[in-house]
Amino acid sequence: MSTIAVKSDVAGTVWQIHVREGDVVEEDQTLIIMESMKMEIPLMAAESGRVISVLVAEGDVVKDGQDVLLMECD
Amino acid sequence: MSTPVAPEWSLELADIRARREVAYALGGPEAVEKHHAQGKLTARERIGHLLESESFEEFGILAGAVKYTAEGKIASATPSTAVVGVGTIAQRRTVVAADDFTIRGGSSEAAVAEKWIYADRYAWEYKLPIIRMIDSAGGSVKLLDKLGHTKIPGYALLPITHLLGAVPVVGIAHGACAGLGALRVAASHLSIMVRGQSQVFAAGPPVVKQAFGIDIDKNDLGGYDQVHRHSGMINLAANTDAEALDLAKRFLSYLPGNVWEQPPRAAVTDAPGRRDAWLNDAIPHDRRKIFNPHKILKSLVDKDSLFEMSPDFGASTITAFARMNGYSVGIICNNPRVGGGALTRAAALKQTRFIDLCDTFHLPLIFLVDQPGVMTGQEAEMQGTLGAAMQAVHAIEQASVPVITIVLRRCVGLAGAMVSPWHGPTGTALPHRFAWPSAQWGSIPIEGGVAAAYKQDIAAADDPLARRKELEAHYQALASPLRTAERFGVIDVIEPDSTRPLLCNWVGDAYRITALSLGPKRRTMR
Repeated sequence: MSTIAVKSDVAGTVWQIHVREGDVVEEDQTLIIMESMKMEIPLMAAESGRVISVLVAEGDVVKDGQDVLLMECD
Repeated sequence: MSTPVAPEWSLELADIRARREVAYALGGPEAVEKHHAQGKLTARERIGHLLESESFEEFGILAGAVKYTAEGKIASATPSTAVVGVGTIAQRRTVVAADDFTIRGGSSEAAVAEKWIYADRYAWEYKLPIIRMIDSAGGSVKLLDKLGHTKIPGYALLPITHLLGAVPVVGIAHGACAGLGALRVAASHLSIMVRGQSQVFAAGPPVVKQAFGIDIDKNDLGGYDQVHRHSGMINLAANTDAEALDLAKRFLSYLPGNVWEQPPRAAVTDAPGRRDAWLNDAIPHDRRKIFNPHKILKSLVDKDSLFEMSPDFGASTITAFARMNGYSVGIICNNPRVGGGALTRAAALKQTRFIDLCDTFHLPLIFLVDQPGVMTGQEAEMQGTLGAAMQAVHAIEQASVPVITIVLRRCVGLAGAMVSPWHGPTGTALPHRFAWPSAQWGSIPIEGGVAAAYKQDIAAADDPLARRKELEAHYQALASPLRTAERFGVIDVIEPDSTRPLLCNWVGDAYRITALSLGPKRRTMR
């Protein structure tokens, strides 16, 4: 088991959060949708695992590279 | 009855064999075992993995440090830490140079430095690709005892610089590479590292400690995140030695053996006329929704032929080799999933370097465009993003390979000047540009442009939002790519599923013309 921090690869606003703590997620599943450059930019799970904690709330302004969610993966 | 012939040279031949055995043994069983325990391959195993079996011809196997007794017998022998020679990869002769870490950490003190310089020189003289496998602790101050004097440092830049304009060069960091070792990795067309196992830096932690008085872990200084994700100096990362070597082989398969040859054409395994109907709906009509560029790329190119360079650096732009109808091409495609596809400084540097690489080896370039322009904001301005973007403009304008451009969606601002040449080195380059129906372009994006130009008008309206939408709709209609096509501002607006047949026909034309202009380019790698 390893803990992975999901980072936002864009500066922008958190538009929608699609998962909650404890959720089991598949690879490529959308976790959070950012709003940036007038577009909806999904942040997806790089591998399957379980959400440990969501570090942001909808409406938060985040920086490029900021950790937004922690996942536990095999 | 014949009498046995007295062997004339058997003693000498036996001596050669015995000395070779010393070289094959590397640093001895214990050192090799320790090396294996770290999950690493030895220098000879790396070469064995790269080359077709039995094809390795070694240069300088007898070189090393030998001590003799008073009677002239060998008292001790340590082979050189540089294992070099030539062999075949995919039927092509390729030069290889591997550092042996099992002898004093591959220290250059134990190498006969002339050996790996000779490998570079052989690649230059015979115009063969070269793969350097670096696993060396670098030099030691003890070298001074041997030399008895200091010297102005200067690795023979012939051929290290010249090679980049003549033959494919791969540098693999198999361990911690500092100073000269780092330079031998970086002075390449493809640099590879092994995650967690290798680091690349100008100077390692002991020097940093001396200079700044701080302790820093070697991975924090020159690990994957630093030299790939942030600096982009290293192009690819592998998980094991074997994987790194396989990446090197795959990379070379897209390139010619040198710049006087054309890239080899692979067997055609995928129909050039294949049309994947889903492409017609790959771009969402809602402009807020984004698409998956990797999926589109994989559908357009020959099956399983996509090979991405520097995937995690400047990731808002994808640079990849691929094959179209068996022909090797370079592809530059924007990625709206990262930073909205905006051209960052990192993406611009990556794009420039990739164009130079394709130009050097005569690979036609395909642009797939969805670019909102150059990244904005204080941070981007402080990085000099616009200056880096101009480098990418110069690169495409100076490249003399054929270019074709397909605008998938946005082509805004400077993007229009960097996705195909306007004049090219000949002054007659064609802006061979096509568009999907989802394409939109212009000097200024409509949404922001309307808000800026009609600020007072919108503010004074009874319903400002409705007024803004109305104005935007007016300009959106004018911005239809079909209106541009009416004026021949774009060659054609095409069904997305006809893109592959179009590209496959074009690449044949491109290869016919590059065959007429082989040889070195006046400018090579920036």
